[in-house]
Amino acid sequence: MDIVRTFGGTVASQAKVNPDRARRLLMTGWRAKQAQLALAPDKRLPKSRQYAGRLAMDTILKAMSHPDRAAAISIFTPYEPLEAAGILPYSVEQMSSFLAGTKCEGAFLETAGLHGFCETMCSYHRTFLGALSSGIVPKPRFAVYTNLACDGNLITFPFLEQKLGIPGFCIDVPFERSEEAVADVARQIREMTEFVGDVTGKPVDEDRLREAVARGCESATAYRGFLASSPGKRLPSDMVSEMYAFLTNHLLMGTKETLRFCRMLEHEMKEAPQSDGVRLIWMNTMPYSQQPVIDAINCNDRAFVVASDLAADHMLIEVDPGKPYEAMARRMVYSAFGGCTQARIDRELQLARMTQADGAVFFAHWGCKATLGISTMMKNALEEAGLPCLILDGDGLDESNRSDGQVATRLGAFLEMLEARKAEGKGAL
Amino acid sequence: MVCVVCKYTPFELFAGFGEDVRVLDGMARDFDLSDTVSHVNLCGFGKSVIQASLEGRAPQLVLVNCCDVMRRSYEIIEGSGSAEFVHLMDLPHSCGPCQIKNLARQLKRLKDAYARFCGKPFNLKACQAAFYNPEQPEGEYVAVLGVRAGREMQQMIEQVFSMPVRNLTCTGNRRVVLDDRALATDDEDEFFLEYAQALLGQVPCRRMVDPSGRRALLEDPNCKGIVYHSMKFCDFYGPEYAQIKAQADIPVLKIESDFTLQSKEQLRTRIEAFAETLGDTKGTGMSNINEGGSYVAGIDSGSTSTDVVVMDREGAIVSTAIIPTGGGAAKSAEECLDGALREGGIDRSDIAAIVTTGYGRAYIDAGNDSVTEITCHAKGAHYLNPQVRTIIDIGGQDNKVIRVDEKGNVVNFVMNDKCAAGTGRFLEMMANALGISLGEMSQLGLSWEEDITISAMCSVFAESEVVSLVAQSKAVPDIVHGLDNSVASKIASLSKRVGGADVYMMTGGVAKNAGVVDAIEKKLGCKLYISDKAQLCGALGAALFALEGLEK
Repeated sequence: MDIVRTFGGTVASQAKVNPDRARRLLMTGWRAKQAQLALAPDKRLPKSRQYAGRLAMDTILKAMSHPDRAAAISIFTPYEPLEAAGILPYSVEQMSSFLAGTKCEGAFLETAGLHGFCETMCSYHRTFLGALSSGIVPKPRFAVYTNLACDGNLITFPFLEQKLGIPGFCIDVPFERSEEAVADVARQIREMTEFVGDVTGKPVDEDRLREAVARGCESATAYRGFLASSPGKRLPSDMVSEMYAFLTNHLLMGTKETLRFCRMLEHEMKEAPQSDGVRLIWMNTMPYSQQPVIDAINCNDRAFVVASDLAADHMLIEVDPGKPYEAMARRMVYSAFGGCTQARIDRELQLARMTQADGAVFFAHWGCKATLGISTMMKNALEEAGLPCLILDGDGLDESNRSDGQVATRLGAFLEMLEARKAEGKGAL
Repeated sequence: MVCVVCKYTPFELFAGFGEDVRVLDGMARDFDLSDTVSHVNLCGFGKSVIQASLEGRAPQLVLVNCCDVMRRSYEIIEGSGSAEFVHLMDLPHSCGPCQIKNLARQLKRLKDAYARFCGKPFNLKACQAAFYNPEQPEGEYVAVLGVRAGREMQQMIEQVFSMPVRNLTCTGNRRVVLDDRALATDDEDEFFLEYAQALLGQVPCRRMVDPSGRRALLEDPNCKGIVYHSMKFCDFYGPEYAQIKAQADIPVLKIESDFTLQSKEQLRTRIEAFAETLGDTKGTGMSNINEGGSYVAGIDSGSTSTDVVVMDREGAIVSTAIIPTGGGAAKSAEECLDGALREGGIDRSDIAAIVTTGYGRAYIDAGNDSVTEITCHAKGAHYLNPQVRTIIDIGGQDNKVIRVDEKGNVVNFVMNDKCAAGTGRFLEMMANALGISLGEMSQLGLSWEEDITISAMCSVFAESEVVSLVAQSKAVPDIVHGLDNSVASKIASLSKRVGGADVYMMTGGVAKNAGVVDAIEKKLGCKLYISDKAQLCGALGAALFALEGLEK
């Protein structure tokens, strides 16, 4: 019997009749998972990855337990002003991922459909919207979000604000990359910081904000060190760890915890053993629960992910911590997930060169138009530069948009091809 | 000629270069070129813009940063080199003072880019002269809301209704008005600031952070009905539809397209059925009635079968016929009608009137009138069992759930989209994948042991999932049961959307599949009423309309 699926089924059925009870049940399950991660972690993973798992669990549990001290946040919104204000984050992506990990996402996807959210919308957003409509999402103090990387935020967050009756603030990041755009976004982040002060009734402490931004910069330096020392080595990881890194590096940016995580990674990678397995760059979201992907990549010396662009991108942008608002704005404006595709292509190639990757997997997550739209351009550009690229269609969460058979065949054939290239001496860039 | 796609585009700016503007709103025949350079899972509109550019139909193109798809479409077109001039204008998501300044900067950037391209200077006076204050139409109308409707779709809707139809989608509701001072100024900076403010001051589209200004569209007392258009892979409008559906006092129809003409007939059926519920069709009513005739006939021209019911003037069924549709709708209709007349021993000259329904109804010459199968199904179901309040019809290529009142009038209805998931065709594909007949499939689903979930809703993915389950040596009855449940889930979801209520009746060929019927009954928690005349329901309703036509 699949215990998690049975538990998820119970949460889903309770959500229909008693959302409060469903939420309590869910949190009991997540606390059990938290205890498991602390007492019996996956020993195949290094300490840094185990720590990120616990951190992700702690973050959502704290936010769910103290919603009056929490803000709903889209994952590309700078966290430092919230860290300085002592506000806990909970994000759409995090909440949905954990619901899917609990195997109850199906019921919330269905609920989202009944509220008019299209089946072709990103399943991270739909799961969250379904949970929100079901009444199991606690009411946070306010919402902060951005259009960067994802259109879905412009649907989800206004709905959230209206549904729960909370104030919200949107940072509108322009398409163009320019100093004018940086100044414009810096002004908006300043306004957002004032907004946070207004809502909480206490102006955000500028010194604490500066410290948070400085810690974010130190974290980025350590993460770059981790990536730069990875060529030829393997620090065991799995798809869910890549997702935890994504959450930690964004949702907790500027915290002591993220700095600790990045430093642990850097240290462990320096000590990591050599490996001649296939080294992959993973682009976009991680289908961490899809069996053929788990079989092929998780804790596997034959093939493994050396960098995921969602976790690494903004860590590669050099910013000046002495100008905190400009620093946060620059990370947004020059993010590879905004603006033109060439910038994203350049970022992937930069990552591939840093980590000496043999190939790249472009995960075409169902409903994510920003990534689907560039899939062909990305594949052509990376391959022209000498980096083989696989477009892997699927869905990070929604099982109904997946085909395990197809994924197993495509991913398996791609890895065989990369192994053959390595054997011929046509390895990394 | 500059092609544009969005109401926030500064149409008037191009008059400053002596250029006309054309809205790129034609629906695509297919996306063969677009699909080679992009992913298939983009919205049909984005793909139609890429397709038009790659076909050379939009040599000068100005796009607006409306959404992720438009951004990517711009990059694909720019990278393909198919356009002489292509420009993406960055559009803010709100309309505060800073956003207005940003947009003014973007307008000037576009002006400079176009001036460089065409080699002509910008004439501010000519640009200012292009502004006008469009008159607001008066009187009752039907509104088209939601995602942009293609030109052909808009025309089709206009053909169906007798009331005027107003396109209030994101391409059809443009109103950019400047005051006299802005129209007279020689200061370009001042002009572009005013221009930006006027563009952002329009009724907002859904991609704006604060769409509350759209309420005005819904509160107009002259609006008598709403056709709400949604598009696959465009996510902005779905929640608004749900909200309107829940709150609006006027009838609302949701239609979905992929911005191609491929499902035109299915869309026409929905729109005509909606017009029938509003009592606002352009139909001329029954014509050329044979007053001396003693019988009426209804012909239902479906995708898989053609059905005929012949009825006497008292409303009693005299004879029926069902044949497979083949060799064209008109030919099948004639053959089927002849068969029914033969069975009843009736001469064709004794038929007073014929009403046609079904997908093929537009191609049948024999009828005196034509009514959609949705209205006909409701009528037929009411005749067979007046207690019926919800009709579930699973046909060869579509699913319908129709909510009816105590008189058999349609209250609400939904149909599946173009996707075949959950239709008779879906079950046929799965039976083929399992190597069993439809008859075997009907019974096998009842003798299952392991509860298997088929998670894929897409027919292609589901087929692959079924093949994987066979490879895992799962028992065929268990797989069939999983498929039956998948169809039942789809139906239960459609049923919830129309507010389904007992008594439920099931019609269509899939009503013969015992496994599917059992799964639907379990999902709905009640028994389905299935008549032995279930397959004739549409034709029966058509015959009843013919009878009513005589009485009028």
